[in-house]
Amino acid sequence: MHAYKDLREFLSVLGQQRQLLRIHDQVRLEPDLAAAACALTQIGADSPAIYFDRIAGCSSARVALNVHGSWSNHALALGMAKDAGMRDQFFEFVRRFQQYPGSLEHVASAPWQEMVIDKDVNLFELLPLFRLNRGDGGYFIDKACTISRDLDDWDNDNVENVGIYRLQVKGRNRLGIQTVPQHDIAIHMAHAEERGEDLPVAIALGNEPIITLMGATPLLYDQLEYKMAAVMQGEPYRVVKTAKGLDVPWGSEYVLEGRLLAGQRETEGPFGEFPGYYSGCHKYPVIEIDRVSHRKDPIYDAVYVGRPWTELDYLQAMTTSAPIFLQLKTTFPEIVAVNALYTHGLVVVVSTKIRYGGFAKYVGLRVLTTTHGLGYAKIVIVVDADVDPFDLNQVMWAMSVKVNPAGDIVTIPNLAENLLDPACTPGGIVTKMIIDATTPVVPDARGDYGMELDKPQSTEAWRTKLSALVKEMRT
Amino acid sequence: MTTANADIDPTACPRCRSGTIQLLGKSPDAGIWTVFGCSTCFYAWRSTEPEENVNPEKYPLAFRLRPEDLANLRVVPTVQPRRSSS
Repeated sequence: MHAYKDLREFLSVLGQQRQLLRIHDQVRLEPDLAAAACALTQIGADSPAIYFDRIAGCSSARVALNVHGSWSNHALALGMAKDAGMRDQFFEFVRRFQQYPGSLEHVASAPWQEMVIDKDVNLFELLPLFRLNRGDGGYFIDKACTISRDLDDWDNDNVENVGIYRLQVKGRNRLGIQTVPQHDIAIHMAHAEERGEDLPVAIALGNEPIITLMGATPLLYDQLEYKMAAVMQGEPYRVVKTAKGLDVPWGSEYVLEGRLLAGQRETEGPFGEFPGYYSGCHKYPVIEIDRVSHRKDPIYDAVYVGRPWTELDYLQAMTTSAPIFLQLKTTFPEIVAVNALYTHGLVVVVSTKIRYGGFAKYVGLRVLTTTHGLGYAKIVIVVDADVDPFDLNQVMWAMSVKVNPAGDIVTIPNLAENLLDPACTPGGIVTKMIIDATTPVVPDARGDYGMELDKPQSTEAWRTKLSALVKEMRT
Repeated sequence: MTTANADIDPTACPRCRSGTIQLLGKSPDAGIWTVFGCSTCFYAWRSTEPEENVNPEKYPLAFRLRPEDLANLRVVPTVQPRRSSS
């Protein structure tokens, strides 16, 4: 566990761990930055973060990409060993998640207050904005935390919200924001509109790695991301209040303060989104920025979103799996682990002990009724307790031998689904499927399952010994 | 790194072909690039981008918009009605 004070400290650790590539050659904002980040996702599973400090037209700008873009970087973000496996990262994430709540450390000032621009704000000149995909409707800020409070419950810290929403820079000080009704900020916005008031927001850009993961986690409405970040990093989370009363991370590189305008909707999009498709255009809410603050030589942090896998899939990995796991476990203590890594949980693999014949299908149905499952889980694969859901070789073995489609596939037509799933017909409606890839047990007497193979005696002892030897050989 | 396009003012939005073009920003290092935006469809582009993003003739068909269709885009989320004062 480690509490990184800011993005700079994390980048420095990534550098020490040989997980950061610094590019000093001159590059163009387009198409170089997005192309480099996309290429990184294609050259191996252990890709480093990348950092540019010589960008044509804005020589003082610094841009970091792919900061969370590998399991090594994700492990280091959590303060774990660089080689921690997915399964270990999952259980550690879940363990910390259950410690909620941690606390906040309020301090009076922060490095991001050093430079202030409060008139003639021009985001196109202040930020090294760049296009990610050719069909994007413009330049998007896509890895910043947007912070808001409920005007009806202003002093209640627990309903303050820190969320990552895509923000299209549409004018010099004008942003479009995507908020679907399920997002917590949509509740704040609805209350503000009912009152006929603009909603104050702060946008914190370039943060230490934990709050970014928390902003991507579907927490309950009255769970504060900073308090979850505190238990994830093992120390109180350090924040500074803006003049409007919003708590902002102490370590942010840039802070944009403004107002979400009541009653306004404007053309936004398209944007290349997490399913690997463009989102289309909609009329979305609008934010006007009044003030930009930033550190000296600020670092602009962004995530490339493309056809999976990209860095975005790491941001939506354990942060999606853990809440589903904990909700399932409340109903069924037999649940062992949940892998919701694929396309924000459109496919979910659950491993579980089996109470009795037919039980696995109930587990699959329960996945569909978790809060995240309602809008995402479309295909649920249920495997036995001794199959690691994070090891697709094992999952495919279970699918190969434990599934008889005649009795193991359940489809439920016309369920609600996220609009961004392109398989929906009509938009927002889809058929969902449960695949029971567990061994039938009494009274489910299907199949002819004899004795499963196990391992030779002392395999585990040899594994420990050989793992150390192989590691030594390669260092 | 400079571009020949930086000083040429565009006359139509590459995406929706409207003439409502605004100059949105210039490179902090003078003369390298310019950002333009369309106040009809809110498309924005930089003078130094690949031609398919800056030239209306090369802009990909799949991403084009018609100004008359913008009014019919889905509104998300719907605007909340004002509370009645009591």
